[in-house]
Amino acid sequence: MTVITISRGSKSMGMAVAEHVAETLGYECLSRAVLLEASEQFDVPEIKLAKAMHDAPSILERLGHRKHSYVAWVQSALTRHAARDNIVYHGLAGHVLLKNVAHVLKVRIVASLEHRVAFVMRQENMSAVDAEHDIHKMDKGRQKWTKSLYGVDPTDATLYDLVLNIPRFDVKDAADLICQCAKLPQFASTPDSKRDMADLVQACAVKAALVDEYPDVAVTSKSGNVLVYCAAGDRHGRKVRSRVESLRQSIEGINNIEVHVGASPPERAV
Amino acid sequence: MVLVLVMISVAVFLFVVEWIRIDVVAILIMVALPLMGLVTPKEAFCGLSSNAVVSIIAVIIIGAGLDKTGLVNNLVTPVLKIAGNSTSRIVTAISLTVAGISSFMQNIGAAALFLPAIQRVSKKLKIPMSKLLMPVGFSAILGGTVTLVGCSPLILLNDLMAQFNLKPFGLFDVTPIGAALVASGITTFIVLGRWILPQTETAEVVAESEAKDVPDDSAADIYELHTPSDYTHYREPITVGDLRERYLVNVVAIVEPPDYKIVAPPASMQVHSGVSVGVFGSKSAVIRLAAEEGLELKPQLEVFAEELTDQESGTVEAVVAPRSDLVGRTLAEAEFEGRYQVTPISLGRHDEIFRSDIANMPLRVGDVLEVHGTWKRLHYLHQGGGLLFTTPVEIEELKKDKAVFAGLWLAVALIMVIVFKINLSVCLMTGALGMIITRVITIDDAYHAVDWRTVFLLAGLIPLGMATEKTGTAAWIANGVLQAVGPTSPIVLIGVIALLATFFTLVISNVGATVLLVPLAINMAKASGLDPRMAALAVGLATSNSFILPTHQVNALYMGPGGYRSTDFMKAGVVMSVVFLVVMVGMMYALYGV
Repeated sequence: MTVITISRGSKSMGMAVAEHVAETLGYECLSRAVLLEASEQFDVPEIKLAKAMHDAPSILERLGHRKHSYVAWVQSALTRHAARDNIVYHGLAGHVLLKNVAHVLKVRIVASLEHRVAFVMRQENMSAVDAEHDIHKMDKGRQKWTKSLYGVDPTDATLYDLVLNIPRFDVKDAADLICQCAKLPQFASTPDSKRDMADLVQACAVKAALVDEYPDVAVTSKSGNVLVYCAAGDRHGRKVRSRVESLRQSIEGINNIEVHVGASPPERAV
Repeated sequence: MVLVLVMISVAVFLFVVEWIRIDVVAILIMVALPLMGLVTPKEAFCGLSSNAVVSIIAVIIIGAGLDKTGLVNNLVTPVLKIAGNSTSRIVTAISLTVAGISSFMQNIGAAALFLPAIQRVSKKLKIPMSKLLMPVGFSAILGGTVTLVGCSPLILLNDLMAQFNLKPFGLFDVTPIGAALVASGITTFIVLGRWILPQTETAEVVAESEAKDVPDDSAADIYELHTPSDYTHYREPITVGDLRERYLVNVVAIVEPPDYKIVAPPASMQVHSGVSVGVFGSKSAVIRLAAEEGLELKPQLEVFAEELTDQESGTVEAVVAPRSDLVGRTLAEAEFEGRYQVTPISLGRHDEIFRSDIANMPLRVGDVLEVHGTWKRLHYLHQGGGLLFTTPVEIEELKKDKAVFAGLWLAVALIMVIVFKINLSVCLMTGALGMIITRVITIDDAYHAVDWRTVFLLAGLIPLGMATEKTGTAAWIANGVLQAVGPTSPIVLIGVIALLATFFTLVISNVGATVLLVPLAINMAKASGLDPRMAALAVGLATSNSFILPTHQVNALYMGPGGYRSTDFMKAGVVMSVVFLVVMVGMMYALYGV
């Protein structure tokens, strides 16, 4: 009963590895399904969600908050899936969102630049210079996106439980290794880790419900005690509070809900 | 004169922008004036030995003595009993009591005293706090005008008048005007309250929804739990903080194996297997904790039967005081739990009770902290925590047996003033000394109680008033104002002076306004044939006309718990200020025939 997140550098064969792992373990392989679910639930075109998850917000987009909403909705859909266990997720930044859940195996797939350039040249029929340029652009975009959303560098190896270099392992070997790791006892779900996951699902659900109106809120949840952090301003806080009260009916399991105005959210807040 | 004008401008500017604290501005002025040769070194520091400063020190010590014996606090219960259930009666009873206390204590102390009682009444009778707090707060300010020691400007008045060789005012000379101001203030809220007080629909809705959805924490109590022998097997360590975060249940005592009992354990302390845990929380939350964590809920206290009894420990409510070091900081930043070894239970603000992660909420003036700990530890917190304790009766160290002495020495001081007509500062210091000698308050506690910021604010600004007068600046400005106003009757001039004082007290501090305006008003009075004492009195009284902005300490204290916005103060404050000016000028006309 494990959740596996596979973070991948662009054109590093991560998707192929993820599919192989899912097939071997009989797990659900998730990437687009999360977008589809979020698209359906929040009535947003999938393409917009995909773009929001792929590209870092531009300066103009930072002024608005639509992208924040899209990301929060996708996160909510992802955590709901992850709570069911036995999934392999290879979308963006799942490992950072799920980092505090003990039974999540966080894998990073990397490949050498030469290998990736060769792959792109083959697949896209382009010159080596163009392929390298494209790869650099994509890497930079993903790095910027993860940094803007979570404040971390996705290439930092300490974020992962396992980092695999694809030219040294082929897709099958990499997948086998991941499957072996997934069977280790430390990645099996426990009542405590399931509770952490349930907390995350609830926090993401609350954030998803609020983000469109109040993009600056951050949310934590512990055993049904939900805390909404919002920027300074009592009037703003009062509005958030009255909106938050209505969530007791729509989101299950809320025991207590508070709005803290002007307090800094903890690092685990979504 | 130009240099004095520059100093006045700098002082006013610094008071308004508040880049540095106002007491530091006062010290800056105290040092700068002799350096610029505007006053002699002796004159620069004469404020420190002035009657005003000695009086305010004595008033603070007397107030602390009364507070220590619970004498003043004992008024709360009978007053609320008399008040009954009617909003008007509650407002009237509490306002009159607060005004009475405020006439002999610092306004802020009187206002803080009733805050938790008002909160309880508000919850019990479902009257919004916003309907109760503003009238009481305004009454605390107005109560400061009832005696000459009620507020800093009036305490300062005789000293400022001394350089003009004017006859000083007696302790109760202002009482008829002050009493009329208090009465008119309360009447204004009774008659016009529904229009000038905010209609807090939101607060009521939230209060109702909280009552519906949140477990009833009025029944919060102490319980004892026992962890199973395998509690920590095959899992991440559970800490005291984790239990608080997950179940809103506070661990107030714990056994550290094998048998070492710790009261108020830190949030990081691990909960081990096979140990007893004393918790404070609502019964429903404790039952939930026991069920989900697999702990045994004991029917009664066993291991902590001694440590957690009412005799040894308890819960108090404490208000974050204006100028407290805690303002703007979180409990975690202040290392509150570690330093005082107490457990913060909840934080009350704006009709809301916070229970989650309160250690990381930046505190504001008026926040009400509910704290659990041993009486000894709570006493240390009381002494040094920057908090106004609102339930000191529970504290073991309360010197109830000294209440008679406290009352006696207050009476002695008053008799000396009224009967023997001895100088006010001497009388008040006698009362303060009497309390120290009869051990109502220790000398160290007395030193600790003195608000040195107020002392240096008064002492630092007194030489500025002297320089204004000495250099002829006051006379020059006064002539300018008189020329601008034109020939007027004394009553109109009193009105103009009162208006000026009202404006200045809103922009700069009430003490600053008094120091600057008293020499000015006396010069204006002399030039236009008005009694200079009346002009000075008008300034001393009108600097309490501080209702329009929440800049007064009392307004700042009540703003949070009342859920008020600045516009609420403007709305009610304008009406109150007009009533204040009309009543004050009217009473001066009626009593002194100005």
